[in-house]
Amino acid sequence: MTTSTTMVEVRGLAKQFKAANGTPFFAVKDVDLDIRKGEIYSLLGPNGAGKTTTISMIGGLIAPTRGDAKIGGYSITKQPLDAKRLLGVVPQEIALYPTLTARQNLEFFGRMYGMSGAALKSRVDEVLEFIDLTDKQNERVDKFSGGMKRRVNIGIGLLHKPQLMYMDEPTVGIDPQNRRRILDTVLRMRDEFGMTVLYTSHLMEEVQEISDRVGIMDHGEIMAIGTVGELIQKIGEEDMLIFRVGTQSVSSVQLERLKTVEGVTSVTYEQTAKAANGEGNGSLPIDGRVVARAKRGRQALPDLIGLANADGIEIQSVEVREPDLEAVFLSLTGRALRD
Amino acid sequence: MRSILNVALNDLRVIFRERASIILNLVIIPLVISFAAGGANSSMGSGGDTAVPDLIIDVIDASASAESAAFLDVVRSANENVLLCPLDNTADNLCVLPEGVTTVDETLAGTRLEDQTSLALILIPQDFSETLNAGTARVVYRSNEDASAPGYLLSAVEAAAQQIGGAVEARTIGLQVADDIEFLTFADEADRAAFGDQVYTRAAEIWATNPITVNATAGELVLESAAFNGFSQSFPGIATMYAMFAVFPVMVALIDERRYWTLQRLAMMPIRRSEILGGKLLARFLMGMIQYAIVFAVGLVIGVPLGNQPLATVLIMVSFVFCVTALALMVSTFVKSSQQASGISLFLSLTLAPLGGSWWPLDIVPSWMRMIGHVSPVAWAMDGYSKIIFSNGTLVDVLPMIGVLLGMGAVFFVIGVSRFKFE
Ligand SMILES: Nc1ncnc2c1ncn2[C@@H]1O[C@H](COP(=O)(O)OP(=O)(O)OP(=O)(O)O)[C@@H](O)[C@H]1O
Ligand SMILES: [Mg+2]
Repeated sequence: MTTSTTMVEVRGLAKQFKAANGTPFFAVKDVDLDIRKGEIYSLLGPNGAGKTTTISMIGGLIAPTRGDAKIGGYSITKQPLDAKRLLGVVPQEIALYPTLTARQNLEFFGRMYGMSGAALKSRVDEVLEFIDLTDKQNERVDKFSGGMKRRVNIGIGLLHKPQLMYMDEPTVGIDPQNRRRILDTVLRMRDEFGMTVLYTSHLMEEVQEISDRVGIMDHGEIMAIGTVGELIQKIGEEDMLIFRVGTQSVSSVQLERLKTVEGVTSVTYEQTAKAANGEGNGSLPIDGRVVARAKRGRQALPDLIGLANADGIEIQSVEVREPDLEAVFLSLTGRALRD
Repeated sequence: MRSILNVALNDLRVIFRERASIILNLVIIPLVISFAAGGANSSMGSGGDTAVPDLIIDVIDASASAESAAFLDVVRSANENVLLCPLDNTADNLCVLPEGVTTVDETLAGTRLEDQTSLALILIPQDFSETLNAGTARVVYRSNEDASAPGYLLSAVEAAAQQIGGAVEARTIGLQVADDIEFLTFADEADRAAFGDQVYTRAAEIWATNPITVNATAGELVLESAAFNGFSQSFPGIATMYAMFAVFPVMVALIDERRYWTLQRLAMMPIRRSEILGGKLLARFLMGMIQYAIVFAVGLVIGVPLGNQPLATVLIMVSFVFCVTALALMVSTFVKSSQQASGISLFLSLTLAPLGGSWWPLDIVPSWMRMIGHVSPVAWAMDGYSKIIFSNGTLVDVLPMIGVLLGMGAVFFVIGVSRFKFE
């Protein structure tokens, strides 16, 4: 049901692709979403989760294998032009004409949104002001830094004052200063212009900071939806205590003994064949870790370390992680977000 | 409809962004090649002369201008044994001038021609440089009727006239085109003049690598820069080839736009996909027509006989450019990268043009080759032009060619559009 407070309604949206070897697979599997007017809604998921595919269907770029999405009540498959009029797009790629200037890019895309003449000119001025590129407006964008290009990329999405802004990983590959700027821009879109923002990222920190609600996505499915607080509550607000043990193996008897420490609710042993930087494959050293969960992790820490030492488990490092979206993702999927 | 135009205009803006290369590609090179090919065509079957030492040519240069000097330079460089007198006289008086004489007037030149001291006389009128710019320049070449000068001498003079005329033409047209294209603006008059000179130099350079010989006739001959009859084949041929060259980059452009993601961005805007693709194709169609128009216009200005059927000619042009635009669209849907696209576009350019008779008339190739050649849209366009130019054909006579071009184009277009992907 579309109500006056719903901006985007997605039902059973799915997309099948062919992999390189020709076998079909679903990059997006029957996704349902409801995005409310005026909220920042983030899709959080690792590379290849299906974020871009999902919003490309919502934006009318690729046709869904099945299912539909409505923007402001208009079906993107049946009334694409009406739906697209409400939508501003900030693609993951820097979608600009490299040999044209910032202003020429903005003016051209503005015309494509039906603007012209003095109205176009003054709107382009406004947007240039907003993305802070007024003084560089007549330079070719291929001479711009990555951050500046990203800002022009965002500016184009803003031109026709859309009700819904779609931003696909707008902070990818830029320095912290420019990232900060872009995050502030996103917040201003909601707070000053009352826009709805559909934001995707694989970066937990920024999603946690700006989002009203988050959908956690993996392997083409939405695993959980809620505010950051709600999602953390789902995993019981427990701290995670992570002990790295290198190549040692830890027996289930040893794990059982660790579980007897007061406040500890579960203890598991995991092995990854991956290097810490995530570029690993089977030939790299095995990285084993013992993960304990506890309501007040720091209090349980001394006892856990003592017991482990007594039991002959050699601990190489210890990490206490308070509940965050990373932990939520880990508990939902059994994998780290940025492996 | 407005979106189509906006997309097309934006693409033209992107294309015309590179002003130096666009002028070179669109104006200078095609014209120079047209002149060169025209000269080569009309000299087919002649030639074979060997060099003879000390070919004395008397020169009376009433103009004494930079242009006449350039003209004489070209004559000089055409054959290493040419000796221009008295300009190039040596210390040991190879010019065989009478004692104490350093200039040649018409009387003396007449005597020297008669007694066969000199082989020929070149008379450059006073108004040479002005008339050259106006396209009406005349150079008088006189040789002794009895001891007729070797053919290649006349050829050298004729070629020089063409070359100088051609380069001047290129400069004038380059500037005109530049003035007409709104994106090409010059800072001031000096900038504009410098641009003209650059074009002239470049044209002359390209020219120098394309030496021309033409058939020689004895006796007196008046060369006018507007009398290049050998060009009736080369101008349509080269124009057609370059129109194709102007269209084919759309293959790379379509792939690049998908890579830049501008195509995907457009696809998410409230415009129909047909308008986006239509605009992109329209831009390239217009490039093809502009290219065609430039070469044909120059041909008309310098008096190349191009027939007197403007409507039929324009319709052939339109249907040919439509056909190759649709071909480019179709091919682009089969290639994966812009490297592949530029490779295949070069390959198609260099096969379709000669196969279709851009470089030489298909009348001179074996009939089986002529048949194969008609796979190329170029052949159908060339058939049309030669009907109009050489056999007084009218619109009715060229309708079959127009029909074939439109038909081929329609097939390419349908395949291309149905296969085209925005993402
Ligand atoms: N056109 C396509 N053809 C085949 N497979 C595709 C296509 N587009 C995407 N995929 C695959 O679908 C899956 C989801 O891709 P998608 O780009 O939606 O992920 P993502 O969450 O946006 O990831 P990232 O963070 O890397 O941008 C990936 O496995 C990807 O390789
Ligand atoms: Mg993505």
